[in-house]
Amino acid sequence: MAWLARRALLLLAIGGAQFAAFEGALRTWGHSEAAPSFQALFVPDAQIGYRLRPNARTRFVTSEFDAHIAINAQGVRDDRDIGPRPSNERRIVVLGDSLVLSVQVDRQQTFCSLLEARLNRDGGRYTYRVINAGVQGYGPVEELLFFREIARQFQPDLVIEAIFVGNDAEEAVASAPRLGRAGAATAAVMTSETLITRLRRIVRHSMVLQVLRLRIVSLVDRLPTWTAPPEAPLQSYAAKPAPRIADGLRISRDCIESIANDAANTGARTMVMLVPARFQVDAADYDRLKAAVAQAGGELVRDAATERFNAALADLPLPRLDVLPALRAAAPAGDVFFQQTVHLTPRGHEVVADAMERFIREKGLASGL
Amino acid sequence: MVFNSLQFVWFFLVVYALYRVLPHRGQNWLLLTASYYFYAAWDYRFLGLLVASTLVDYTCGLALGAIQVQRRRRAVMWVSIGFNVTLLGFFKYFNFFADNLHVVFGALGWRLDFVTVRVLLPVGISFYTFVTMSYVIDVYRRDIAPTRNLLDFAVFVAYFPHLVAGPILRATTLLPQIATPRRVTGPQIREGLWLIAWGFFQKIFVADNLAPLASRVFAPGAHETGINVLLGTYAFAFQIYGDFAGYSNIARGTSKLMGIELIENFRFPYLVLTPQEFWRHWHISLSTWLRDYLYIPLGGNRGPKWKTQRNLLITMLLGGLWHGAAWTFILWGLYQGLLLMLYRPFESAFAALRHRKGSQGATGAAFAETQRYRRFHLRASRFGGQVDAAGSAFAACIMFHLTCFGWLIFRAPSLRGLGVLSRSVFTHFAPATVDVTGLLVPLLLYSVPLLIVHALEARADDVLVVPRMPVVIRYTVYVATMYLIFLFGNFGGSEFIYFQF
Repeated sequence: MAWLARRALLLLAIGGAQFAAFEGALRTWGHSEAAPSFQALFVPDAQIGYRLRPNARTRFVTSEFDAHIAINAQGVRDDRDIGPRPSNERRIVVLGDSLVLSVQVDRQQTFCSLLEARLNRDGGRYTYRVINAGVQGYGPVEELLFFREIARQFQPDLVIEAIFVGNDAEEAVASAPRLGRAGAATAAVMTSETLITRLRRIVRHSMVLQVLRLRIVSLVDRLPTWTAPPEAPLQSYAAKPAPRIADGLRISRDCIESIANDAANTGARTMVMLVPARFQVDAADYDRLKAAVAQAGGELVRDAATERFNAALADLPLPRLDVLPALRAAAPAGDVFFQQTVHLTPRGHEVVADAMERFIREKGLASGL
Repeated sequence: MVFNSLQFVWFFLVVYALYRVLPHRGQNWLLLTASYYFYAAWDYRFLGLLVASTLVDYTCGLALGAIQVQRRRRAVMWVSIGFNVTLLGFFKYFNFFADNLHVVFGALGWRLDFVTVRVLLPVGISFYTFVTMSYVIDVYRRDIAPTRNLLDFAVFVAYFPHLVAGPILRATTLLPQIATPRRVTGPQIREGLWLIAWGFFQKIFVADNLAPLASRVFAPGAHETGINVLLGTYAFAFQIYGDFAGYSNIARGTSKLMGIELIENFRFPYLVLTPQEFWRHWHISLSTWLRDYLYIPLGGNRGPKWKTQRNLLITMLLGGLWHGAAWTFILWGLYQGLLLMLYRPFESAFAALRHRKGSQGATGAAFAETQRYRRFHLRASRFGGQVDAAGSAFAACIMFHLTCFGWLIFRAPSLRGLGVLSRSVFTHFAPATVDVTGLLVPLLLYSVPLLIVHALEARADDVLVVPRMPVVIRYTVYVATMYLIFLFGNFGGSEFIYFQF
């Protein structure tokens, strides 16, 4: 027993020493979303799960980009606070996920800021303010909850719901239970989450623990498929998708309808913007993924997710912009997506901002603001 | 069901729990059932082929044991070889030959519509057909007695750890272990667990993290400068090694846990000095198979020099074709054959030099000399300083780059793509364009830990040196391996490269 105890102690000591070494190395060189400085951008939220921490600041650096991120007092990515709307200001709120938040580029390079600059370019009766209300990891369910809890107070004139067709249907299914919880009293939830919140706080302070947490989450997610053959990836694009994709599309549609109804109640209009995945634009990426999916026994249909969202939203009387054609047309002249993440490059943001401005003007959404 | 999947973990835990409580015959029945389930998890339709191959070669083995007339015995052996080669030829090479016939006849203006059927490749067919062929040839040569126990033979063929990607086992090694009761020892468990962990490290940390680097450089239509093609080729060299050696180690590790010893398939192949040494350290089970059942029957190095060279070339050409039905694999085999042919004159000169200086052994006995030879290039001083450490390092570096050029051929998307990549390396190297953050840093990050353990193993001339090290070093390596897997591993669950062969 003493031998065993000595060995266990030795193992613990070596494990501890290496933990410190890896923690130090990751803090010094491991710029990633698991970094405590990046994780500090988020704060738990009883209704939505989490949201951006008001007044948080960080710098996000990887081999591909180096960006400053500032969150304002209202909890959206902006250097300026958002107060009551002046009478000569018209506001556009863009709801979405990481493709809207865009931590890979500086604020002035995001399509929200670029759109604002374009709309204000010619001067005029009103000044336009475009509010970036994107949050990393959100899907249509969280976006609806975020709109109700926070973004509605910004008094928007136009709400743009940015749908990432690549995973929003899947995320809508995963987050659907939150819709039921949103209306309930939150006190019980807050109490039960106290211990978890404490644990999360500890984990958030360590990069090693952050990564290990992500591994465990991923493992738990895969538990139901232990005995079944692994499902081919990218189900939103599968020729024969899993039944949950249809559910996800329906939930997404309902969430968008709810956002539109809530917005209409405050006099705002709503439009939908469909954002494609990188491989829908990048042919080499598509070939690689198509082969990988085929190897896993599936069939990848390049624009299936876009077409499915278009079909699912067809009965909603909302203007709908698909930025895929614009990005595809721009791709041959240079990267519109980063290579190591699936997010837009500064050039990609320019292309999207151009497409949005054109669409808003064509549909009269700007003049009617 | 790949080794790096939760499905396999679950499968193995259940099998192993049952294995440890069953008696010997029960264990064999369990192994057979588990192996067929494992294979059917890939594609149950091809299970019939595996069973057919087992029954044909089992019957041929029995016939060889019963027949005494040499002519008839040879006929039986050819029945087995013919059956297996037909299986392999149809399922693995039909599409290749049909496509090439289309091209040739299309150029002449003829259409060949009868060869448009698409044939699927059954996973592992290259491995189990070689396993069963070697059994029949060994029985024919009277190296082993045929087994009368169909269960033992079926387990030998289908044994799940080696079924889909080797090592290519010999009946002489595995059948006796299946036929007799097995005992699992403490050191076997320790070594087995280490081999499994190290195999996962090689696959998840090394191979799967380097795969995107290689894919980027070798993507059809990619136009990288020479320096970046070189880095991408290094990445592929470590990827394919990590992938294949990782599979072999997991296969060996799981077998050790069941008290079964499989042969080593890799011994630090990137630290060798010569092409001949490379093939004694890389995919050892295939190279020894080709040596014993192809090169030596062709005449080996008996007879005139030109015949030896011819035999080398044929063996390596077929070795290349074994890897897959593509011109790049054939060209790779040809390249390896040429390397071995070109090396032979230097081998004699090198051996004479060593002999003159009083070193033990001679070139011709190189196989027997392998152990000493390994130490030679790593501890040159032991050999009286005939070749100093710097010289050895230089030779190893040259050999590594010759190997990498082989991988460039192997991984090129097509012959045209190979031309583009080669031109980049030789005419547009442009060192200033090196992609430090996208290629160099990840390459170093994911290959250096592997090379450190590689060097430890080579220094001790023992691929199981880690579990035999002092406890503090051992635990340090264990813990670091686990941290690296969990912190930086790629858990995408991708398939092993050699499954496609």
